[in-house]
Formats: sequence, structure tokens, C-alpha cells
Amino acid sequence: MGDKPIWEQIGSSFVQHYYQLFDTDRTQLGSIYVSICLSVLSTLMQGHWQKSSLPFTKIAHSITAQDHQPTPDSCILSMVVGQLKADDDPIMGFHQSFILKNINEAWVCTNDMFRLALHNFG
Amino acid sequence: MAEKPMWEQIGSGFVQHYYQQFDTDRVKLSDLYTDASCLTWEGEGFQGKNAIMTKLSSLPFQSIQHSITAQDHHPTPDSCVMSMVMGQLKADQDQVMGFQQVFLLKNVDNKWVCTNDMFRLALHNFGA
Repeated sequence: MGDKPIWEQIGSSFVQHYYQLFDTDRTQLGSIYVSICLSVLSTLMQGHWQKSSLPFTKIAHSITAQDHQPTPDSCILSMVVGQLKADDDPIMGFHQSFILKNINEAWVCTNDMFRLALHNFG
Repeated sequence: MAEKPMWEQIGSGFVQHYYQQFDTDRVKLSDLYTDASCLTWEGEGFQGKNAIMTKLSSLPFQSIQHSITAQDHHPTPDSCVMSMVMGQLKADQDQVMGFQQVFLLKNVDNKWVCTNDMFRLALHNFGA
């Protein structure tokens, strides 16, 4: 079995690390962002953003699938499809995408987009 | 009403054009890709315009309709535009399914092209 391409190794490590931090102590997520461009449920905020202000006490993410690609400018684009459970709410699907960039030999997240998989049926 | 930021105009313009083309005549999507483009379709990778177009042209449905539920657009550090789309689609007589797609757009010779494209159906294995 061949080695995974480097962008898959970096992307999948980031994804694993991200959700592990998110689910255990999301106040620590700050270190992975740099001048972020973050949109959550269509709110676009630039700069450091405290994910600790999200309105749940506990959260568990389960990754269904993830894809990683190298970009022309030597970044990594990652897409995650999964499910999550916050507190005692029902399980919901979510979509998240990240762009990772190597800055000073550390891979940081420059772009992060998250959406719950909610559609208006009808 | 304030104007939308440039990256939103570019991203939403691209997204509208992409799905319109996809649903009417997806062979014409080739204009949007270059030899440096990558597509990941349901976990399978395709490199370059020709491989991408072969895959898209060979998808096993006669008719397809996409409906966009939500889209988000960001500027990236390297002056690209990142777009994420969440929606539903219906192929032939199949049931409606959710999907997710992400695009990275780059300005090459004054034209916005798609260098990265990832598509997945929103299917989960509901486990115990």
C-alpha cells in the first residue's frame, strides 16, 4: 500500500486535531487560526473569533467523509461531511471546509466554513 | 443597500453559472477548468481538465437538477476565492439527495477559473 500524498496526511491530521479539540476544549482552538476568515451560518467575521461563544455545553462530531487537495498556491483545501450532537439535541448533519496554509513551518487554518445540513423542504 | 464584497460577487456568479451549465449541458463546464485543476468526486480524484470532463460527461444520469440551499464565499490569503455550496439534487427519477461542494477559484489571465473542486453526496452511515 502506497503512502498517502502529503496533502492528505496534513489535511487529515488537521481535521482529526480540530474536531478532537472542538469536542474536548474548544477554547484552545485559537492557536490554529491566523487572521482567519470564518463564516458560521453565514456570519462573516474577520480576525480571531472565540468559538467558546457557541451556545452548547457539550458537543461530539463524527466524521463521515473527508477529502483533501493541494491548491495552486501550496495550500491545502479540506472538505468534511459529518454529523454532530450538541447537548441533548438530535443528531444533525454538517458540512465544513478549511484552507490550511504553511506559515513559519506551522500549518494554520486561514479559512473555515461551517454549515448545518438543514434544507427547507418544499 | 451596501454592495456585496468582490469575492461574494465572483463566488456567487461562478456558482450560479456552474449549476446552470451542469443542469443544462455539462459538457460546457470545460471552460471553467484548466490543466492544473483537481476534482474530487465522491472521494475519487481527477487531475486536469480532460480527466475532469471525462468524469463529468460520463456521470450516469440523463437529467439532473441542483437546488442551492446555501452558499458561502471567502477571499483566501493568496487572492483566490473559496466557495462552499450546500444543496439538494435530483437525478432522473431518483429521490432528492443532499450534497456539498467546495470550489477554489483563481484569476488566471483575467478570467476566474476553478482550480479545485470537491463534491460529495450528504450520505451518512447511521450507526448504532
